[in-house]
Amino acid sequence: MPSGGLLLQSVVLGLLLGGLYALLAAGLTLYFGIMRVVMIAHSAFLILAAYVAWWFNVRTGLDPLLSLAGTVPLFFVTGVAMQRLLLARLRPATLTMMSVLLTFAIALFIEGMLGYLFTGTQRRIQLAYSASSLDLFGARIAVVKLIAFGLAGAALLGLYLLLKHSRFGWALRATIQHRDAARLAGIDTDRVAGYGFGLGLATAAIGGTALALDATVYPSLHWHWIGPLMAIIVVGGLGSIPGAAIAAMVLGMAQSLLQIPLGTTWAQTVFYLALFATLALRPQGFFGGRLAQRF
Amino acid sequence: MTAPRNLETVELTKRFGGVTALDGASIAFHDGKINAIIGPNGSGKTTYFNCVTGMIRADSGQTTYRGHDITRRPPHAIAAAGIGRTFQLCRVFPRMSALDNVLVAARPGGVATRLRGARGRAEVARAREWLAHMGMDHLEGVEAGNLSWGQQKLLELAGVLMSEPETILLDEPAGGVNPALIDRIAALVRELNAAGKTFIIVEHNMDLVMNLCEHIVVLDRGRPIAAGPPSVIRSDERVLGAYLG
Amino acid sequence: MRSVSKARVWLGLPVLLAGVGLVLSFPSLAPNPYLLSVGIVVLNYAVLSTAWNFMGGFTGYISLGHGALAGLGAYGTALLITKAGMPSFAALFAATAIVALLAIPLGFAALRVRGASFVIVSIALVLILLLVFQSWASLTGGSSGLVVPRPFPQLLRPEHHRVFYYLFAGLLALALLCWWLIDRSRFGLGLKAVREDEDKAESLGTPTFAYKLVIFTVSAAFTALGGGLYALWFGDLDPVFQFSILSGAYMVLMALLGGVRNLFGPVLGALIVGIGLEYFKVEYGNTPLHLVASGLLLAVVVMFMPDGVIPSVSNVFGRFFQPTRASIREVSAEQLREEARR
Repeated sequence: MPSGGLLLQSVVLGLLLGGLYALLAAGLTLYFGIMRVVMIAHSAFLILAAYVAWWFNVRTGLDPLLSLAGTVPLFFVTGVAMQRLLLARLRPATLTMMSVLLTFAIALFIEGMLGYLFTGTQRRIQLAYSASSLDLFGARIAVVKLIAFGLAGAALLGLYLLLKHSRFGWALRATIQHRDAARLAGIDTDRVAGYGFGLGLATAAIGGTALALDATVYPSLHWHWIGPLMAIIVVGGLGSIPGAAIAAMVLGMAQSLLQIPLGTTWAQTVFYLALFATLALRPQGFFGGRLAQRF
Repeated sequence: MTAPRNLETVELTKRFGGVTALDGASIAFHDGKINAIIGPNGSGKTTYFNCVTGMIRADSGQTTYRGHDITRRPPHAIAAAGIGRTFQLCRVFPRMSALDNVLVAARPGGVATRLRGARGRAEVARAREWLAHMGMDHLEGVEAGNLSWGQQKLLELAGVLMSEPETILLDEPAGGVNPALIDRIAALVRELNAAGKTFIIVEHNMDLVMNLCEHIVVLDRGRPIAAGPPSVIRSDERVLGAYLG
Repeated sequence: MRSVSKARVWLGLPVLLAGVGLVLSFPSLAPNPYLLSVGIVVLNYAVLSTAWNFMGGFTGYISLGHGALAGLGAYGTALLITKAGMPSFAALFAATAIVALLAIPLGFAALRVRGASFVIVSIALVLILLLVFQSWASLTGGSSGLVVPRPFPQLLRPEHHRVFYYLFAGLLALALLCWWLIDRSRFGLGLKAVREDEDKAESLGTPTFAYKLVIFTVSAAFTALGGGLYALWFGDLDPVFQFSILSGAYMVLMALLGGVRNLFGPVLGALIVGIGLEYFKVEYGNTPLHLVASGLLLAVVVMFMPDGVIPSVSNVFGRFFQPTRASIREVSAEQLREEARR
């Protein structure tokens, strides 16, 4: 029986991890909602942002969080360009399958370029506050993890407010729910779809910076992220952001708790088991998400 | 007088999120007749077709076909029970030849037949017959995606007929089609009906419906508000009200 | 149309015979064992991408996880030999049967819902198996790998290569024959209808789910055979290479590049990509640049020639044989629909 402190620590770590998962899954859900695209390259962009944060820190000695000022707008523009110049040009009839391949190709390209430019060596940011931690009823929580969680939480909240309370958010939700009707209502759905993609990729920039704060990164790391993220969006019911967020928290917590008896490697299988169970028992997902019905 | 029952639904209900597309629709169609479903846009006509053919699953309610419950059966089983359908925006297999488009619908039979060559002589002859019936036998080798809109509509119909349905559901057969072709489709429906096929037609072209159909059901907001022969429907105030809103 | 297909046969037959002759005589022509082993690798790629094409070509469902099925075939064969003491080729067939059986529940989870979930499951399969085979060291040897006993211990290396070259060629011929038979069967017609429009196919009475499940199982079985034969030939397995997402991606790239709707598309793709990969290895060693090149090539194929090389080339020939073909084209429904979408 693990001690109470260890258990509490796992719960808190699970929560913190779940926050990052939730932010990234929100991005994936956005792409899927807008275009029925499963964006395999999402986690490759995540790692790219983490590398930029690391490189920025090594080069300038400044806090890696400042790199967000560059990566967020840059990723946003990249996302818009990717949607308008690449994905929108695929044939609608085969879009879902071909877009998977295209984003997969982009992921390979990013991984290869990172490996070429920075080698396969594992990289880690050293900060003045890297080692400091908080003591919470016997649980030790690293400060960098709290910062990362704060960043993810703030971004998620911002995304939520944007979608619920801005005119652009209204247009984006309308586009996701019924593209033709949205067009009839005078929404330029192509432009909205592009911006939606930019927004999704911006979440990868924020997530990557948060990740860089307390994780070791290497070029092929993105494969360890895309599996869990895809499981999360399926369990959450493809297309539902709140569903994805709940699934992210639940599965993040499960992973963290299972690490105690099983170790880190086997604990990861919880995502895949949840994925298979969801598809076999309840393909429409467990938390809303009616888009999944025919997809 | 009651005609024998063909397709019949009891309290069929389907919601999409907050929108109720079908609201307890109880409808019966007459066997051996040309039936129609009319109603304003968004009244649930296509959803009704999709539910009874199993393409989407109704939230509640029951569908029977000639007395057999087909409510939760998959679409291919419903097709095998004898119900064929066309789609609202006509759908063909674009990168298959016109002949293959028709051959696909041949009744498969057992495992051995499925593994044998698709171009069995009897089937090919029958498929060519249907193509010829549509006046398209010279186009059998053309990929369906390269055919004109009207030709695709006829090809879709040929495919449905190849599957030997007893009852045929047509979703807007006259949509986007020139007047000459509408006449041809109407003649075809009459001819097949005379040969014993039952039709259920969703259509916006009122002239066509009133001339062609013997039994008309009017849907409004997911439930039937009137049913009867054209003469009755034409003078029904509720129908007028539904269309004028 | 008739005359075109006849012309294709008359053009195709000599090409086919020449191809078969070249494949059969390659071991005698190859100047050294290294080139012969490259020939085996290319044949193995051709087997795997043809196996992939049972699923991808007929139904249009793209799997990025077939690498894992090949890996399972390889590890299954190896483990049945080393742990269960089975003879090499009995182990190969038993492992194939096990993978085919495993494909049924996998297909059940992946194919009931359409499109995206199949791809997601296929990728998840690779990732979970990599995890399991790396961690379960007591069974699989973990990261240090697994040595597979050779089936013909008395043979010298060039002889060994030669035998396996013909085994792979035989397997490829079998896979191609099966693909061809299904392609012209009514079952194949139903599968192609699924690729074009699944709802429509089902409304015409095709039991689409059952069809997809059957062809997925067939595809998995051929993939496992290819993987298992590779294990017998190569003799050394490492989970990182057996369960790599990249090997599955190569199968897709090869099939797509050659043309998924053509019998020989995947073979042609395997020839191009396989030789390209070997060249890359010789020229640049093990740099991550092959990832960049594969990514770029895949993106180019997806964007600019999703139907592959063969249709692009034969279109040119087609126009040559039938110049009137364009005249029947009015506005096609697909164009109308695409215009409506804009």
